Amino acid sequence: MGIKSFSRARAIHVMLVYTGGCNGCDIEIVNSILSPRFDAEQYNVFLTWNPREADVLVVTGPVTHLNRKPLEEIYNAIPNPKLVVAAGSCALMGGVYKNCYGDIPSEEIEGPVENIIPVNAKIPGCAVRPQDVLAGVVSLLPILLDAD
Amino acid sequence: MDEKVPRSNIIETEIPMGTVHPAALEPYRVRFFVEDEIVQEAEITIGVNHRGIERIMEGLPVEKANSLTEKICGICSNSHIWNSCRTAEIGLGIEIPERANYIRVIMGELERLHSHFLYLAHGCEVLSHETFSMRVFYLREIVMELLAMIGGNRVQYGCSVLGGVRPRCDLDEAKLLRLKEDMDKLEEGLTGFVERFINDSIVMSRITGIGVLPQKQAIELAVTGPTLRATGVARDLRTTMFEYDDFDFNVITQPDGDVKSNLVMRALESFESIKIIRQAIANIPEGKIVNRDWEMFDTDIIESYIEVPRGTLYHSYALESGRVRHCIIRTPSMANIGAMQYACIGDQITDAQLCIVQCDPCFTCTDRAIEIIRR
Amino acid sequence: MFSNTVIYSILAAIITILVCFIISTLLPGIERKYIHARIQQRIGPIVIAPGIMAPIKFMFKENVKVESPVPGLYKVLPIICFIVVMCLLIALTPQAFAIPALSSLVAIVGLLKVEEICYVLMGALSKSVMSVRMPFPDQIKGAVHNNATRSFIEDISSRRSLRMITYGSFPLYLALFAPVTQARSIFLEEIVAYQQVHGPFLFTVSGAIAAIVFFIGYMIILNEYPFSIIKAKCDVIEGPYMEYASKYRTIVYLTRGFFMMVLGALFSVLFLGIPPLITSWSILIVVLVSLVLVFMMGILSAFSPVFTNRQLLPTILGTTLLGILSIVLGLL
Repeated sequence: MGIKSFSRARAIHVMLVYTGGCNGCDIEIVNSILSPRFDAEQYNVFLTWNPREADVLVVTGPVTHLNRKPLEEIYNAIPNPKLVVAAGSCALMGGVYKNCYGDIPSEEIEGPVENIIPVNAKIPGCAVRPQDVLAGVVSLLPILLDAD
Repeated sequence: MDEKVPRSNIIETEIPMGTVHPAALEPYRVRFFVEDEIVQEAEITIGVNHRGIERIMEGLPVEKANSLTEKICGICSNSHIWNSCRTAEIGLGIEIPERANYIRVIMGELERLHSHFLYLAHGCEVLSHETFSMRVFYLREIVMELLAMIGGNRVQYGCSVLGGVRPRCDLDEAKLLRLKEDMDKLEEGLTGFVERFINDSIVMSRITGIGVLPQKQAIELAVTGPTLRATGVARDLRTTMFEYDDFDFNVITQPDGDVKSNLVMRALESFESIKIIRQAIANIPEGKIVNRDWEMFDTDIIESYIEVPRGTLYHSYALESGRVRHCIIRTPSMANIGAMQYACIGDQITDAQLCIVQCDPCFTCTDRAIEIIRR
Repeated sequence: MFSNTVIYSILAAIITILVCFIISTLLPGIERKYIHARIQQRIGPIVIAPGIMAPIKFMFKENVKVESPVPGLYKVLPIICFIVVMCLLIALTPQAFAIPALSSLVAIVGLLKVEEICYVLMGALSKSVMSVRMPFPDQIKGAVHNNATRSFIEDISSRRSLRMITYGSFPLYLALFAPVTQARSIFLEEIVAYQQVHGPFLFTVSGAIAAIVFFIGYMIILNEYPFSIIKAKCDVIEGPYMEYASKYRTIVYLTRGFFMMVLGALFSVLFLGIPPLITSWSILIVVLVSLVLVFMMGILSAFSPVFTNRQLLPTILGTTLLGILSIVLGLL
């Protein structure tokens, strides 16, 4: 294990982007990092709100129309290597909102996160459990460590 | 308390924040118009979260629509499904068993606890007081575990069904005992926290007199819920709801309408919730938990109002051969947006997000009935 | 013979700086793990994570294009900050006492001022994605004040740094000049010599008050809660540092830890009369002093919310008055 992977395994900065879910996932994720009960910091996962600092982008919610461009911008602002975690069933497949107008074509839901930015890990659940969020972020470690 | 007037003529610059911002737990855009770091006017843009739930509900069987309302909001999900079931029950004249009623009240109050704790934690986080925020999150975990125990999920429990509650949510002796023990634990923890919080002079000096919402203005803006009660108006829909007939509780009010009143008010209301849950545990009647003995018929538009953690929630729909028609949902945050914009005026921009947070915003709730005007 | 002494003293200074630098990388981790996390009843990260591992990680990240009107200057600023902090430490080592330009209090105040001006420039030059550049239809039909000038959140941060220069750093400078009243000299060498003869300045009445003032000034210049208004998370997110990525962020991270250490060394020179020197045991005292300061800062910051201008002004005024009091007491 080189110094690169060694250091990456010991400082992971996570950024959250909410793209219009129901708040359930958002709060569970904040809960998993902020509450002393789950305390993601003991696995050296830090919460950041600055895209320039982030390594992992956690996205929740079915990307609504107004959220599409901000999400792309924030993704572009993160320096490589970067990874994306889609958390919650809305982010994975649009959830219950996907076909909000039935057969009528709609621009409201821009679809799952995959349609907009590449996704590396998917955490299912409605809402996701904090344990799953931690497991999801940690499961990305091998990809992150081996990246250039 | 004199009125605060937006002074548009001396705006120096505009500072937009959002849609992603550490102080906001959900996406919304807010533009602050400032003069020397003092906010002169604020504009909150919602619609970022618009997902069209009412449109999806249109034409769905009522049972399915009920469970869909839960996905409106991840914080007050139980309130939505409760009120949605209640709407149909009022329209179809379904009698709800006493025991089911008690379980609904317990769930409703547990949800109020978790919502208020989230509010306190979020408020402390926006104050950048990480320690208090963590302490409250730790207390909140007790409530979350209780909710997971009763409903099987930490966020969306799907407790109410038409005519009662889901069989999974029935409370047996062991569950009641745990509920009772955890209420003691919770009260102890909350008492400790509130004492620390109120006696912390640094925090108090920081939040007293910030984000003032005068009573007159609050009534004019049709503010609901705890935000209204924090300005001194004792208006709580729970006093008129038949579900709460058997319970004895006080309507808490605070005089000032500033951040301190709001935070303290949430903490004191949590004690009332604990009191209600204790009464429910002590007096929970035996019997069935769901009434299957009802018939479906077409109804005119039915309306139902309940008090949820953030204020008054309104659901209305008509039933047509078992399907939902003309659905309208109006959430408390919709009414409180005016208050949020108003409360910021005249405060430092560091406090501006706090002033928005003090009105307990839930824009995911709010963004449904709004039509987005495309450019 | 003479050249040997010079080489040895330069070598000792370099080793002192290296040792201080290595110890300084541990300080943010110690603050985070042993103070904040303990107070918040959680386990917290490993000690090396925030101070050592995060900077190393950022070194291996892609160097992105910085969104700034003057990217070159913006990128140079953290390096300037780091060099300034290093110069501060060099000025504090006994070997540098021979250089009169560097080893006086005026030089130290000047260096600290450079650091503060860097914050102003950083804030003014950073144009992050998080506010105005966020693609959102703001100025549309129906929106209020469509023709208002628009500012980035870093612009407020820059304006606040200016304000901090004008009054925020007063306490620290007053505390720096308090020992002068006793030693009757602004040269570090004579301040140290005076204290070695007459005992540490800290244990006089004037010194104790000045130490309190120094501590408040230390927190203000390190932008730690509650004085972190220029990088308050609730409105300006990270303020001046918003746009730094990869190697530049590494420097920003390292500078913070190093600055904590150097201010600790400054305290021990001015208030205890013990300069950092690798060849004697006094270096341990310097490390201990910086640790104590970090511990105190961690405890205070864990229990206080961020101050707005409304609370900052009276706090700083009060501290300034205390500083003046300590100087007056020293002169009497």
